[in-house]
Amino acid sequence: MKDKILMIVFVLVLGSILTAALVAVNYVTTPVIEKNEEIATKSSILGALGISFDQGKVEEVFASNVEQREQNGMTYYVAENGDIAFPYSGSGLWGPIEGIIAIQPDFKRLEGITISRQEETPGLGSRITEAEYLAQFQGKRFTEGLKLVQPGRTDADNEIDSITGATMTTDAFIKILNENIRKAMPAIAEGEGR
Amino acid sequence: MRSAAKGQSLKTFLNGVWRDHPIFSMILGICSALAVSNKVENAIAMGAGVTFVLLATGLLIAMLRRLIPTRVRMITYMIIIATFVIVVDRVLKALFPDISQAIGPYVGLIITNCIIMGRAEAFYIQNNIGQSVIDALANGFGYTYTLVSVAVVRELLGFGTILGFQVMPEGFTKWVVMAMAPGAFFVLAIFIWIGRSLAGMEEQ
Repeated sequence: MKDKILMIVFVLVLGSILTAALVAVNYVTTPVIEKNEEIATKSSILGALGISFDQGKVEEVFASNVEQREQNGMTYYVAENGDIAFPYSGSGLWGPIEGIIAIQPDFKRLEGITISRQEETPGLGSRITEAEYLAQFQGKRFTEGLKLVQPGRTDADNEIDSITGATMTTDAFIKILNENIRKAMPAIAEGEGR
Repeated sequence: MRSAAKGQSLKTFLNGVWRDHPIFSMILGICSALAVSNKVENAIAMGAGVTFVLLATGLLIAMLRRLIPTRVRMITYMIIIATFVIVVDRVLKALFPDISQAIGPYVGLIITNCIIMGRAEAFYIQNNIGQSVIDALANGFGYTYTLVSVAVVRELLGFGTILGFQVMPEGFTKWVVMAMAPGAFFVLAIFIWIGRSLAGMEEQ
């Protein structure tokens, strides 16, 4: 009997001490982690809008160049030159893909795309995050939807190269972009009075 | 007496880094060794994480070894390990967000890393603090150097880089298989083969 009580006391005491330690760690790290996430989002937005910035000055550059607006529960970001950025998300081949889409002030062409989260195959699907791949989106016309074609065969201005060996990922990625653009445009047009 | 203790410490250390090497001798902890060895940077972070958890767990369990009731020792290991793993995860997220994103879910899986549970049951519960700390360092080091060696081969062939620096000449064809799971199996198997041959180990 005494053994059992001691056992219970031991587990309770150890559990409480360790839980208290975790609460302390959580308390100290949470603000830092939130700050990191905020900076990651802001640098992703700046990247999509094509605004260059120093790694250490994300906050200042963001505050002086970008304005946050809201319409119908959707948050989007407007740059000084009229470019508009908004977040997108969807399922890739293996996991969620998230990031920022930026469009030009004419509401017809893309300004840039960034990816802040993806879990595609390293070396194959993950190549969608490469700068050369994402660069081709600039100036592409999205009004009739983006279309995926074989590498090197793009001619119309809404066509995007796929990546050899990553067909499924690039396919999913284009679908995510089209769907998010389609959903976001009405709210943004309303908010901007178009 | 002093030299006997020293000899014991040396033996504990060598056992951890070589004779009872967690990966190639005991084949423990290979899940994470396979998963995060695609880049050297990730391997170092994972190695450091596991070493820290081993060290903290070893220290605490060796300290409490006379208090821990035999019947609940497993659950005691689990909560101690889980606590330190959560600490590692939070600290990585706060200080090294990029690395944390790259190895993400595998940090949580340190909890189920058999090396830690195995060492706790086999060593820390029976030995004093000094020996336990040495054992933790040795096993952590053994795990880390294996991960880093596998990662060097995989990153070099799979991405053409080491720690993100371009090493292979321009135009080098990347071995995509090395960056993916099968590459990890090939390289780790070769490593285990070499390690076991050098140590003269035979399957019973």
